[in-house]
Amino acid sequence: MRAEDVVFTPVRRLAEGIRSRRLSPVTLAETFLDRLERLGPRYNAVVTVTRARALEQARRAEREIAAGRYRGPLHGIPYGAKDLLATAGGIPTTWGAAPFKDRVFDFDATAIRKLEEAGAVLCAKLAMVELAGGMGYRQPNAAFTGPGINPWSREAWSGGSSSGPGSAVAAGLVPFAIGSETWGSILSPAGNCGLAGLRPTYGRVSRHGAMALCWTLDKLGPLALTADDCGLVLEAIAGRDPADPTTVDRPFRYDGAGPGGRRFRFGVLRGVTDGCEEAVRENFEHSLDVLRDLGSVEEVTLPDLPYDDITRTILFAEASSAFEDLIESGDIAGLTAPEDHYTAYARDAILAKDYLKALRLRGVMAREADRVLAPLDALVAPGRATVAVMLGGEVRSAIHGTARDVMGAVGNGAGLPAVAVPNGFGARGLPTSLQFMGRAWEENLVLAAACAYQSRTDWHARHPPDA
Amino acid sequence: MTQPEAVLVEVETLFALVRERYGSRLDAEQLAGVRTAIEGIVQAARALRAVRLTNADEPGQRFVPYRADS
Repeated sequence: MRAEDVVFTPVRRLAEGIRSRRLSPVTLAETFLDRLERLGPRYNAVVTVTRARALEQARRAEREIAAGRYRGPLHGIPYGAKDLLATAGGIPTTWGAAPFKDRVFDFDATAIRKLEEAGAVLCAKLAMVELAGGMGYRQPNAAFTGPGINPWSREAWSGGSSSGPGSAVAAGLVPFAIGSETWGSILSPAGNCGLAGLRPTYGRVSRHGAMALCWTLDKLGPLALTADDCGLVLEAIAGRDPADPTTVDRPFRYDGAGPGGRRFRFGVLRGVTDGCEEAVRENFEHSLDVLRDLGSVEEVTLPDLPYDDITRTILFAEASSAFEDLIESGDIAGLTAPEDHYTAYARDAILAKDYLKALRLRGVMAREADRVLAPLDALVAPGRATVAVMLGGEVRSAIHGTARDVMGAVGNGAGLPAVAVPNGFGARGLPTSLQFMGRAWEENLVLAAACAYQSRTDWHARHPPDA
Repeated sequence: MTQPEAVLVEVETLFALVRERYGSRLDAEQLAGVRTAIEGIVQAARALRAVRLTNADEPGQRFVPYRADS
């Protein structure tokens, strides 16, 4: 396999090349490091290229594999990590925020450590919206590295808030990346950039060493070229971690089973395309035609509850507390987006009783979501209501109350797994996406459904022409 | 008091609290932004308050007693 052939090659195929020793981990790392250094600035995708650490890991992988000690499908595979994951060795961890741009930790986040144990090669810390968007940003230009630029159109945004992971994977700068989602920050960049993005069940992946935005909403997960690759990565990063008491003792093994002869049962929430752009709605209807070939599709309903308000209240209250020092000190004035300089002050207006009401309603929401999902394999919906916003545009979001997102509010509020995959193109030639959301701990099922969809479509095989 | 009036009173009361705490570091445009954000917070809170729950509806978040050796 030639070095130039590896770009836009899924992890599973790269792994076959490495395992059979047709592909050198060192050559692979050098290829992606060169692309990160050469093309990363074009997309504002990179905070730090970790060349020294990457080459050390790649050489170790090469030695181990040559000695017959193959660790598994991530051995020797380059990747990037959203810059909210702590890394040792003098590599900065900036949280995308100017006040922290020189900050260095002396330990690796658990997800980084587990990927190292799997033999993966850390090539870059990737850009992100400052503080993962927790201060109320309303525009793409909300990071000290500049707005995440979309490889499908350099006039459009890639985020957020995992803007760097979205840009970097879509531009072929890394084969996969680790992002985080509190509400939308994996599925949105995956959708904006035409990628697969997996939001695991809350508690599946340790958050130790990850910036806390909202303790009860934050999840870490992969962005990759295919849903299948997301499964391979999740297996490496999942698992109980004593350093994160919210992780559970439920070992995850990606079964990669594919659909086989399975017939899926899909649900669609009534009105889920209300407010979607026309192309998003049309592409979703086309996707449903594909899904009907894979099984059944039925309309379902959730009871009338203020889902967006529940999850938003939890998010604002917890973020306000998590960043209490930064807010109280006034240091938020050092952030990039002007609205991030003051919006967080308003959250002192959240009363304790209302926050607790949101937490109590979260319990109701979780039970209702599970009741609807129990007879189904997955709820399906557009991954996002719109294509990526233009760089000078306003980020409309349910988090700000300027859009509705019941799937996101329920999925994140109840901690449910979801995977987004590309399902076509909309305005300005930008990607649209389809999401599959399942019951808690059913990552294998939503991945199987997404893989089945991708086996019938080729949207994931298309890549930005300029990349 | 009508409902819109009650909402306005709540917004103004909470805004006064926030302005008292942070107003000295904010200009007029930023204060207007804070007020708009508080309107959203009050609207969300009222939507939450409108849902009736029973005494048995606990927060969807468990407290676990801590013990170092377990």
